[in-house]
Formats: sequence, C-alpha cells, structure tokens
Amino acid sequence: MSGWVLKGLKTGIRTTLYPKVEELAPGVSPGRPAGGRAAGNKKPAAEACPVDAIAVRDKQVSVDYDRCILCGRCLPPAGASGLVKPAADYEWAYKIPRDTVAAGGAGVTKTCSHSLHIKVVDGGACNACLSEVSQLTKPYYDMHRLGFFITPTPRDADLLLVVGPVTEHMKLPLKKAFEAMPEPKAVMAVGTCALSGGIFGPGFAAGGGVKEFLPVDIAVPGCPPPPLAIIHGLLMAVGRKDPVPSPTSPGPGSGMEAAK
Amino acid sequence: MNIPILLELFLLSCAAGILLAMAVPERYAPAVLAWTASISSAVILIAGGIGLFTNQSFHAELWRISSLGTLDISMDRLSALFVFMAGLIFLPVSVFSARYMQRYSGRYSLRSFSVFYHLLFAAVVLLLIAADALSFLLAWEVMSILCYLLINYEHEKQDNTSSGLLTLVMGEAGFLAVVFGFLLLAGPTGGLDFATLRLNAGAIGGATRWVIFLLTFFGFGIKAGIIPVNTWLPKAYKAAPGNVAAILSGVTLNLAVYGIIRVNADILPALTAGPGIVALITGSLSALIGILYATTEDDMQMMLAHSSIENAGIIIAGLGAGMVFAAMHHPVLAGIAFIASLYHMINHSMFKTLLFLGSSGIELKTGGRDMNRLGGLIRFMPWTAAFFLIGALSIAALPPFNGFVSEWLTLQTMLQSASLQSIPVKITFALSGAALALTAGLAVTCFVKAFGMSFLGMGRSESSRRAVELPWSMRSAMLFLALLCIVSGILPTYIIPVLDRTVTPIVHESAVDALVPPFFTGGRGKEKLNKAFAADFHKLGAQVGSDVLPGRGLVVLHQGGKRNPVVFAMSTSYTFVVLLLLLGATMIMLKIVVRRQKVRYQPAWDGGVRKLLPGMTYSATGFSNPVRVIFNTVFHPTVTIETGESPVGHFRTAITMERTEVHITERLALKPVVAMLKAISARIAAMHSGSVNTYAMYVIISLVMLLIGERFF
Ligand code: SF4
Ligand code: SF4
Repeated sequence: MSGWVLKGLKTGIRTTLYPKVEELAPGVSPGRPAGGRAAGNKKPAAEACPVDAIAVRDKQVSVDYDRCILCGRCLPPAGASGLVKPAADYEWAYKIPRDTVAAGGAGVTKTCSHSLHIKVVDGGACNACLSEVSQLTKPYYDMHRLGFFITPTPRDADLLLVVGPVTEHMKLPLKKAFEAMPEPKAVMAVGTCALSGGIFGPGFAAGGGVKEFLPVDIAVPGCPPPPLAIIHGLLMAVGRKDPVPSPTSPGPGSGMEAAK
Repeated sequence: MNIPILLELFLLSCAAGILLAMAVPERYAPAVLAWTASISSAVILIAGGIGLFTNQSFHAELWRISSLGTLDISMDRLSALFVFMAGLIFLPVSVFSARYMQRYSGRYSLRSFSVFYHLLFAAVVLLLIAADALSFLLAWEVMSILCYLLINYEHEKQDNTSSGLLTLVMGEAGFLAVVFGFLLLAGPTGGLDFATLRLNAGAIGGATRWVIFLLTFFGFGIKAGIIPVNTWLPKAYKAAPGNVAAILSGVTLNLAVYGIIRVNADILPALTAGPGIVALITGSLSALIGILYATTEDDMQMMLAHSSIENAGIIIAGLGAGMVFAAMHHPVLAGIAFIASLYHMINHSMFKTLLFLGSSGIELKTGGRDMNRLGGLIRFMPWTAAFFLIGALSIAALPPFNGFVSEWLTLQTMLQSASLQSIPVKITFALSGAALALTAGLAVTCFVKAFGMSFLGMGRSESSRRAVELPWSMRSAMLFLALLCIVSGILPTYIIPVLDRTVTPIVHESAVDALVPPFFTGGRGKEKLNKAFAADFHKLGAQVGSDVLPGRGLVVLHQGGKRNPVVFAMSTSYTFVVLLLLLGATMIMLKIVVRRQKVRYQPAWDGGVRKLLPGMTYSATGFSNPVRVIFNTVFHPTVTIETGESPVGHFRTAITMERTEVHITERLALKPVVAMLKAISARIAAMHSGSVNTYAMYVIISLVMLLIGERFF
C-alpha cells in the first residue's frame, strides 16, 4: 500500500541544483540557434526562417531571439556544418533597463531577493509557456527552494509574469493586475509571444508583446523557454544573477533592422 | 420593596398591557406594548435581582385544592436567576417590537399580538416561580399554547400553519412526558409541591429514577430543541416573527434548562453517572448537529434557529457534566460545570436575542433574510452592523466577549474528567469535549459567513442596496444587548459569584473559591489561597485594579494540587484592556509609518473582469459549501439535475438543480417512528370492515370478555 513511500525514499532527491551547480542533464534545454561568424552560403538558412529572425550582415549572423520560435529550420542537417550552430545552454533571460523614474524593478532586487511572490497572467498563450511555468513548482525544478512562490492575487505579488502576446481581451485584466500590485514591482515577459507577439501577433486580436502595455524588466525568450530559463529570469529579476543585456539589442547587425 | 409586592405589580402591569391593547386604537397597540411590557420587565428585573443578589427569598401559598394539595409560588435563587434573565430579554425585545410590529399593521391583528405577548410573559414568570408540580405544569401548558399562537402569528401563510401545528404537537408530547415524569416522582404519597417531592425523592428506586429522568429530560428538552426532538424548532423559528423568535430563543429555551435543572438536579439529583452521561452525549451531539446545519443554512433566521440548537447543546452538555460530577461526589467540579452551563445560558440569551433582533431589523429594511440576496449593508446600516458584529463575535466565542468565557469554562470542565475514576466516563468526556471544540470552530465559520455575507461586499439584490438604518428605538434595544454581551464578557469574575450562589443549594458546596480566587482582597476564602501562590500571581499583575474595583479579582483560576498548581486560568478583563492598548498602539504606529510613505489606493482585485457585478461575488451558499461537502453524510441530500435541451439538440437551454435535505434527526429518528405508527394503525384499521354485522360481533365479543373478566378477577 505504501510502496510509494519506499520508492520515494529509494529515489532520493532529484531536484536540480541550479543555480548552485550548472545543470548538465540531457533534455533540460531544447537548444537554440547561435549566431556568430558566418561560413559558407548564408542565403538558405536566412530564408529558411519562417519568422525572419535571422539576419546576415558583414559575414556576421545574428538571431533575433525575441522572434525566434525555436523551429530548428535554420539548423544544418545532422553531421553537416551550417550557418547557425545549435547551442544547448539555457540561461537565456536578459534584462531591459528601465528609466530611473519608474525604477520598480530595482526595488524588487533589493527587497525581494530571497522571497518573491509571482502573479502569473496568461495573456493568450498557446499553453506551452504556461506548462513550462507550471513545471517550476514541481519536484524537479522546485522553485520554492529559491524563495519563489506563485500567488493567486496581485495584491501579494512582487512580480508579474506574463505569457502570451496579450490578446485584446486580456489587455484590461493585465493592466488591472499590474495596477493592483504594490510597489516595488517588476514585470517579466516569458516566451516569444510575450516579447514580440510571436506567431500570433501583432494582429487584429493580439498585440505585439507585453512591452506595448507595461514596462517589462526581464525578458525570457524561447517558444517555449525551458523552466531553467525562467528560473534564470527570476534570479536575474531579484539580482541573484548578473543582469545580461539583450543579445540582439538594437544596433548594427540586429535582426530587427534586417527584417525591415 | 419586597418580592411579593413586585410580583403583584408585575402581574398588574401585564394585565394593564392586555387591557390597554384592547382599549387603544389598533395602530397604537405596538407602542403601548413597548411601554407596558418594558415596565413589566423592569419590575420583574428588580424582583429577580432582589432574589438573586440578596438573601431574600419568598414563598406563598396561592390556594388550597382539597384533593390536590396547595398551589404554591416561591422564588429561590434558581428561580430568581431565570426570572431575572427573562426580564433582561423581554425588556429590549419589547422596546424593539414597538416599531417592528408596524410591518404587520393592517394585515394581522396587532391587538391580539399584544395580548398573547403579555400573557406569555406572565406565564413564563409564573412557571419560574411555581413551587408545586400542578401550577408548574399549568403554566407550562399555557406557555406552550401561547408560543404556538405567537409562532403562528402570520397565520395566512400555509407553511406557518403546519410549522405551528408541529410545534404544538411536539410541545404537547413533551408536556405529556413531563406530566408522567411528575406523576412517577410524586408516587402514591401525593404531595405535589416541590419541597415534598424533594423530601420523598430519596425513596425512589433506580429504574423509576431512570424513567423519570428520560421522561423529563427529553420532555423539557423539546423546548430547547435538543436532538432527537428538535424537528419543530427550525421550522417554528422560520415561521415566527423576528421578535417572537428572539423570545423563543432567549427566554423559552431557558425554561427547558430550568425544568431539567429543577427536576434532575434539584428535586431528584442523579445517584449514578448514567443520566449525566446521557445528557452529556445528547448535548454535545446537539451542539455539533446544530452548528453543522446552521453553517450551511442561508436563511438568517433559520441559521440562528439551528445555532440555538447548538447552544442548547452546549448548555445541556455542561449540565450533563455537572450531573456526572455531582453523582461521583465531586461537588466543586459539579459546581463549576453548572456555573459554566448557566453562564452559557445567560450569554446565549443575550447574544442570540441580539442577533435575532439584528436579523429582524435586516428583514424589515430589505424585505428578506436570505443571505444570498443581502450584502454591503454596513454602508447603510452601520449601527446595526456594529451591534450584529458584537453578537456574532460573542456567539463565535472569541475573547473577550461573553461566549468565549462560557465555552472556555465548559471545555475546561470537560477536561476535569481526569479526576473521575471510570474509564468509559472519561472517554465520553473526551469525545464530548472534542465534539464541542469542533462545534466552536464551525461556529466561527458560521458567523463569519453571517456577518460577511450580509454586511460586507456588494449588495446582491436591489432592496439590499436601498436599505436604511433602523430607527433609534430598535437600535437602542440592540445597543443594550450588545453592552450586556461586552460586560458579561469582560467581567466574568463578577458574574461567577452570582451564579455560584444559585448553584450552591443544588450541589451543596460553593465553587467560587475554586474559580475566582480572592486576589484583590485575600479576605474570604483566604485559607484556600496559598500566600506564595498569590504572591506569584500578584507579580504577574493579578492585583492590577484592586484599588478602584471591588470584588475578588479579575482572574478566573482553578487551583489544583501541589504538582499542578494552576489547572486553568484566564482573564478576559485584562485581555480586554491589553487588546484596547494594542489596538491603540497599532493605530498610532500605523499613523507614524504611513506618514513617511506614499499611500496609493487601488480598487479591490476583482480578477480583472470588465465590471464586477454583485452576482459574481462570493455567495453565502458558496462560502459554506466546503462544510456541506465534508459532512455530506450528515446532510445526505437528494440532488436532482434537470437539463433542458433545445429541439435541435446539443444546445442546453437551462440547467436546474434541486437539492432537498431532510434534517438528520427527522431522517434517522422521526421518520422511522412515524412509519412504525402508521404500520400499526394500518393493522388496526383492518378491523374496520364497514359491515354492521362485524361491528355487532365486536360489541358482543367485548361484552363477553368483560363479563368473563368481571367473573374471575
Ligand atoms: S529556429 Fe529560430 S531562427 Fe531558426 S529558423 Fe526557426 S525561428 Fe528562425
Ligand atoms: S511563445 Fe511559443 S510556446 Fe509560448 S505561448 Fe507563444 S507560441 Fe506558445
């Protein structure tokens, strides 16, 4: 009857040790295309991308992770070497600097570094991102060990975690939730949709990402991002991981510009 | 002033009330009722007070009937306590009635209400001061019938008539049981006055004692609504006008307690633990079942009715514990148990009357009592809300209100079973204590729901958004009761000695030293309070206030032996002061903290909907649903779900769910009895063939049998 107790004891603790120890288990990351110096023919790879996330300029390939949906079409066939190489890391989150006036995110870093309450709002996601978020509370990733908790009410929340492109109907609830949160507060956009509208937006029913409505502090790209990437984002939000600037911040070689 | 004169004055003012009600124009009847009944209450309060606080007692012979003995009235301390409580409850209810009865103006006779009301008051007092079985039973019967008449006041409603009849039938059944009990008690000797009965009680055998106990316990218990004879109570309370429900719960329920104490603790105290155990189990089960139904009930008056069953259960459980202790020769513990029980009874009278008045006020102003249709009333009726809150906190047994003191004492008494010998008795006490603790927990849920759903949030109906505050006369009645709740909550050490004086004649030993040690004076009962022990407590502050306050002290404390010097201790008086200080300090600190901070006001989180409508908010049914689900076996509902589908199919047009519950005692106790009676009468009915010849044969057979019987015996 209580065989499961024994089994549980035998199994031992399987929870990942990230961020203390780098997690190397296979499958924790789906991998994503890495940019870099181009070699060989650049055209086919850039054309293969269905969302125009790849730009090539001056032999330099850059991938706009805000748009990339991790479809893998740009990757070379197994064995061959191509334009973009797969990278199996997962520390994908980056920080968007906010102007000092609305320094909500900075306050969160100071006061909530070891106890952060998260309000999750689904802004019309396809559910894959939400599924990854829900992994965070399960034994393998178990974010409670890091002091992160999900709360049902924005009144208790320090961080607003948004997934999805923010559809017409979710604009008002999202705004209301943000306004209901006490200061200091931060916003984290999780998933390609939340960053750029992804495969849904912008369009008549969905917007082009969270930053159109709210000041986003932390972005976690990926479609969907693996749980460890989200944990990375949370750790960055509270200042326990160094803030990384956007890998494709607007500038020369940015994918955004190339797409235009 | 002495008691007989006051009693005559009381009867005179009741009579004046009746005559005036007949004389004045109909629409002034409620106002006149308020005046005359208040005067009667004041007079009887003084009479009861004299009996309770002084050593004056009173005995008089009304008249002598040659075959039955004398009709006596007397007022000992036990009577005085109940008379005093009756006055204390009738006073605010009468004041409240003046405006409340206006709602019936033109539809029902206000005059007859006044007449019945005064008669009931007089009957209650006569019942309490009756000193012989005959006048007691007469008064009881009159009281029963008047209760029926008042419950059935809105007689044009079909439901009410059947509830009224059920009340009458069960009341009469109880009355008959009590009559048989008294007949057995009197035995062949024939003396019917209580003193004679008490003298002759020693000679009654064990089996007869049991029969008398069961007959009187459940016979009286019907009026208190203990299980399994509680079926009438919720229905009657639902039918009764609000002020009558207040009287039923605040006064007539106490009469049942009075009857049980009078017969089973005073006249014929139990010699074995058995009867006490029966009372204890019945009481704690009543409490649990009562509160379960109260928590899930959405009609406010019905909810209060079920809660009356609960509180009657707590009172009876305390009595049961006292009877066990008394039978096991622990007079002090018995005294404590009786004090706890009576304390809870007076508290229940106060807060339950307050709550009934509150719910009547709500009904008056919103036209309904269904908590699902109320809400947000605190904005329109702030005073009523405040008073109702005090009542709710008291009944939910939160310190420092009065319900806490008595429930705490009752639970502590249950724990004292450690000093008993018998293991089964100890186990019963433990289980009863657990049931009472669960009851106390559920009571909090119940009254959080009652207050939250009616006064907070958004108004869930048009009428609840247009409510206005009650007139001052009704508010003052509630204020009076709310103050009583607070005073009896924070000053237990002044009330316990009074109750002790009532209980001492029954248990033959004073428990006051065991419960309220003389920290202030150190005078009376000094020998019982160890000097070093007292000094320890003085260090803790048990003497704070001794300069300004009279009395023994402000700490309720039961002293034990060497190994366990303090068995239990508590002081709501000091708690109250500390709470006030903390509240003040918090407010000041909040002011200071907030001064340096920017405060941003945001609307309440509504889940992000476009517009929060009242219908979207938490309903009373939803609030108590967890209880309904967990205790499904108790409620045992029959649920039918009907789905309407459009002709095209697939599209549902309407889903109707119907849920019917039959009260557990009706299901398990009443239904089988009724079914059995029906089966028996069906058998007997078979002899009615309708043919004349058969009937002629019956006549001849009976005649022959009679003649044979005559010949041989
Ligand atoms: S993996 Fe990303 S970058 Fe590569 S093709 Fe797919 S969307 Fe474009
Ligand atoms: S980012 Fe990708 S996985 Fe996440 S909601 Fe959008 S489409 Fe779904």
